[in-house]
Amino acid sequence: MPMVMADQHRSVSELLSNSKFDVNYAFGRVKRSLLHIAANCGSVECLVLLLKKGANPNYQDISGCTPLHLAARNGQKKCMSKLLEYSADVNICNNEGLTAIHWLAVNGRTELLHDLVQHVSNVDVEDAMGQTALHVACQNGHKTTVQCLLDSGADINRPNVSGATPLYFACSHGQRDTAQILLMRGAKYLPDKNGITPLDLCVQGGYGETCEVLIQYHPRLFQTIIQMTQNEDLRENMLRQVLEHLSQQSESQYLKILTSLAEVATTNGHKLLSLSSNYEAQMKSLLRIVRIFCHVFLIGPSSPSNGNDMGYNGNKTPRSQVFKVRKVYDVVRKIDVKEMNFTKHAFINQTSHEQEPLELLWHSLDEWLVLIATELMKNKRDSANITSILLKQKGPDHQDADAPTPSFAAAGAEGRKELSTDAGESKTYDVAGKQEACADCQDVISMTANRLSAVIQAFYMCCSCQMPQGMTSPRFIEFVCKHDDVLKCFVNRNPKIIFDHFHFLLECPELMSRFMHIIKAQPFKDRCEWFYEHLHAGQPDSDMVHRPVNENDILLVHRDSIFRSSCEVVSKANCAKLKQGIAVRFHGEEGMGQGVVREWFDILSSEIVNPDYALFTQSADGTTFQPNSNSSVNPDHLNYFRFAGQILGLALNHRQLVNIYFTRSFYKHILGIPVNYQDVASIDPEYAKNLQWILDNDISDLGLELTFSVETDVFGAMEEVPLKPGGASILVTQENKAEYVQLVTELRMTRAIQPQINAFLQGFHMFIPPSLIQLFDEYELELLLSGMPEIDVNDWLKNTEYTSGYERGDQVIQWFWDVVEELTQEERVLLLQFVTGSSRVPHGGFAHIMGGSGLQNFTIAAVPYTANLLPTSSTCINMLKLPEYPSKEILKDRLLVALHCGSYGYTMA
Amino acid sequence: FLFKFLVIGSAGTGKSCLLHQFIENKFKQDSNHTIGVEFGSKVVNVGGKTVKLQIWDTAGQERFRSVTRSYYRGAAGALLVYDITSRETYNALTNWLTDARTLASPNIVIILCGNKKDLDADREVTFLEASRFAQENELMFLETSALTGENVEEAFLKCARTILNKIESGELDPERMGSGIQYGDASLRQLRQPRGAQAQSRQQCSC
Repeated sequence: MPMVMADQHRSVSELLSNSKFDVNYAFGRVKRSLLHIAANCGSVECLVLLLKKGANPNYQDISGCTPLHLAARNGQKKCMSKLLEYSADVNICNNEGLTAIHWLAVNGRTELLHDLVQHVSNVDVEDAMGQTALHVACQNGHKTTVQCLLDSGADINRPNVSGATPLYFACSHGQRDTAQILLMRGAKYLPDKNGITPLDLCVQGGYGETCEVLIQYHPRLFQTIIQMTQNEDLRENMLRQVLEHLSQQSESQYLKILTSLAEVATTNGHKLLSLSSNYEAQMKSLLRIVRIFCHVFLIGPSSPSNGNDMGYNGNKTPRSQVFKVRKVYDVVRKIDVKEMNFTKHAFINQTSHEQEPLELLWHSLDEWLVLIATELMKNKRDSANITSILLKQKGPDHQDADAPTPSFAAAGAEGRKELSTDAGESKTYDVAGKQEACADCQDVISMTANRLSAVIQAFYMCCSCQMPQGMTSPRFIEFVCKHDDVLKCFVNRNPKIIFDHFHFLLECPELMSRFMHIIKAQPFKDRCEWFYEHLHAGQPDSDMVHRPVNENDILLVHRDSIFRSSCEVVSKANCAKLKQGIAVRFHGEEGMGQGVVREWFDILSSEIVNPDYALFTQSADGTTFQPNSNSSVNPDHLNYFRFAGQILGLALNHRQLVNIYFTRSFYKHILGIPVNYQDVASIDPEYAKNLQWILDNDISDLGLELTFSVETDVFGAMEEVPLKPGGASILVTQENKAEYVQLVTELRMTRAIQPQINAFLQGFHMFIPPSLIQLFDEYELELLLSGMPEIDVNDWLKNTEYTSGYERGDQVIQWFWDVVEELTQEERVLLLQFVTGSSRVPHGGFAHIMGGSGLQNFTIAAVPYTANLLPTSSTCINMLKLPEYPSKEILKDRLLVALHCGSYGYTMA
Repeated sequence: FLFKFLVIGSAGTGKSCLLHQFIENKFKQDSNHTIGVEFGSKVVNVGGKTVKLQIWDTAGQERFRSVTRSYYRGAAGALLVYDITSRETYNALTNWLTDARTLASPNIVIILCGNKKDLDADREVTFLEASRFAQENELMFLETSALTGENVEEAFLKCARTILNKIESGELDPERMGSGIQYGDASLRQLRQPRGAQAQSRQQCSC
């Protein structure tokens, strides 16, 4: 029956006239009458027929909908007007409280609404949520509908049950035009019952245009937006989006935003420098604001005057103005920091630009650091004074034997003041005062260091956002140099500061070198974290693991020619995309995903060292590899080296481990560390011994007849290579033998394979910036690339020999193994590396450790103990020289010191 | 509105205690030297208007002088504090005043506070003398006690009221940079304080 209703009114009329059918019979689950169905489908003629037959126009179905509701919902204009003609009640609500007006408003059917409002007494009918038609129209942004409703007298400020006004609804969905209409008609700016304002909603949704409209009508909201940067609940990118949009409206707007942001940042920076503030919260707040500031700064207004101008060469751009004004300001500051007189100050005020408020903060920062520098100086002087005075006083006073430590200075000083009643009183008092100042100063530094460092970080961010990518602002470099001592003092006290705030180090090598020694002394793990954090910094959504991969970005390789085909696809692939993620698929196979990627790296890494390609040669111990100096037998070899570099770089980038172990010297090459003669041992132990011997003994009377040239074997033919110009005629003497050894080493290790290394590094650096990899030494690099091997302590213990006085049962040996048990896996690897030079346990376990000449078990030799003596090792014979420590604690302590600093320890061997 | 205030004066005159008393209505017993600059804020009602005072409490010790100076700019009002039991702190007033006049905005409103009024027995500076000094230098003047709380709120309010008057008379332009004054939609912001979320709301209103 309902099917018939579709439109065949004739058959319906026949049916109706011929049967005793009740026109108001309710069909189906939802209990709709025929009239409902007609209204719903828009079958006007049927509808009229039904109405004529006496169907009830106000009949409600199970959800309370009348035919009018359905007609309104589906926009059946004619049906609607007919229903109205038959005096359908427009004010009936369905079960949710929606009337026909609501339905029209939701869908923005203005025309129909026009007709309908003529019959409506109250357009502000509320639904169950207290929403009127205006609310729903605003939410959906139907401009004309909104206008129509307002024309019909809808209450523009009517709140729903939660207090939300139409404007609130418009803003929550970023309906810019609707919001504009509402504001134009005098809508009030009201928050809902939870205090959430329309602006909050706009910012939460990142609706810049709507915010702009709001500000147009309520200029004060501008400040509110700026203040929102301090609210950590808001999503930064949304807020940024809004500010971005606003700043693009006009140049003046742009400058205003920057100035205001700078002001807020300055206030926050100052608060951060207040010791009573919450460090974490303030620090985050400051950095967030500065981040937003830099972001907005870089975007700039899109006004025609400087559309795409990068702002570094045009005079009209605000950015170049910034530089100019800044310079003026700096000059003024330099002329007289102490007595900035009023006229000059006014001048600065006049030249106010967006950065100016921040200058205040940087100024404070500067002063703080200067203050601490002077305190440090004073501290040094005073502590020298104090100790000397204390020493003098110790005699006559016969006071307690141990001098009070600085932290107890105040207390100690108190006691002292009371005790000494003789002539020395004033002197003692003096000491006390100084000690107090000293302790105080320690306090000042420890309390402010992290705060100041955070401000420095902000300073760096601001400085660098004004520079072209990849350059460090000279101003910042100057700043760091100026405060070098203080900054070093900070990081010495609390190295974590480097990782938390001194990211600038990674971006400017010239500053990095100043702090390198401190950084290198930090735990490997921390540096690793820092390394990856920075490596993945600038990448969008780097945490999204399962990003859909574009079909074109999949590396399709052939399993049977994996090396060549991989090389081909990788060299063609987009480097930036590879950094973000790799997807590999083998030709003719379905598999994809992390497992395949892992397999790819695994197979590829063993392929790279496949002797068939002649790219890498095995070193003497048979487990490590280094570039083959004769690789040019393969005409494409440099390309392949570049590819190998890319693969290792990629692997490191994506934390994939490779199945290759390189020689110590090659790791050094990757890191850019110079090699030394000890490294020769890995490729030619015999030769290394000879070099060692030359260094250790007086060679003047031996008649070695060495010259500064070397014969090398190129596929069987001997060739003489000079070590330096005219080297063949320069004799090696006692005086220049060190140079000779170094040059020979470089020839063997570096020069012979220089093109290969360069090509490799070229590929490697595509994925890993050189400044980052510097964080590690050659041992750590091996761990990063090839991973941490499992070490079986029991196997180790079983296959260890003892010489020079040690026996298995000795107390010291017992302690040693106890300590090894206590070490972390990482430290055990370090120990193994320390003694054998390799982090790897050979296949088959410790029984198969190789030495310089064949199998050589791990050996522990006794050394007479003297205070502070560290353990040493001879890597060629896998020997640990362990002093006979008096206690387990000392042993552990010394051993750990050796392990953590030992990477530079070759010279001791 | 939002006014930026400074509290300045020699070491040990009780600047931090004044601030503490003003904000917490309590006397701070074991107070140390301020290191650098501390921060406090309070919303007050002045002449029917809600004003938020953002107060920077500076260290009085000479060694922090260079640091604290950098906070002067953009202050709308200042409390210049001395200790009525210490002639020395009174004598230093001229220096502080010069600093404030040169470094802060020219329109800065300064109120002179003779603190430690409760220690009348040890008084070294008379009320008359100080009020004459205040008159000569066009300062407002009050004797306060951070211990008892006497005149503490008054000092801040008086200063704020003067600033408001100056704004209303057009003498001060809040829109100017560095005036230390900001319009704020205080009424809305108060509404926004979510129920119960105390810690958060404190964060919120710190502008």
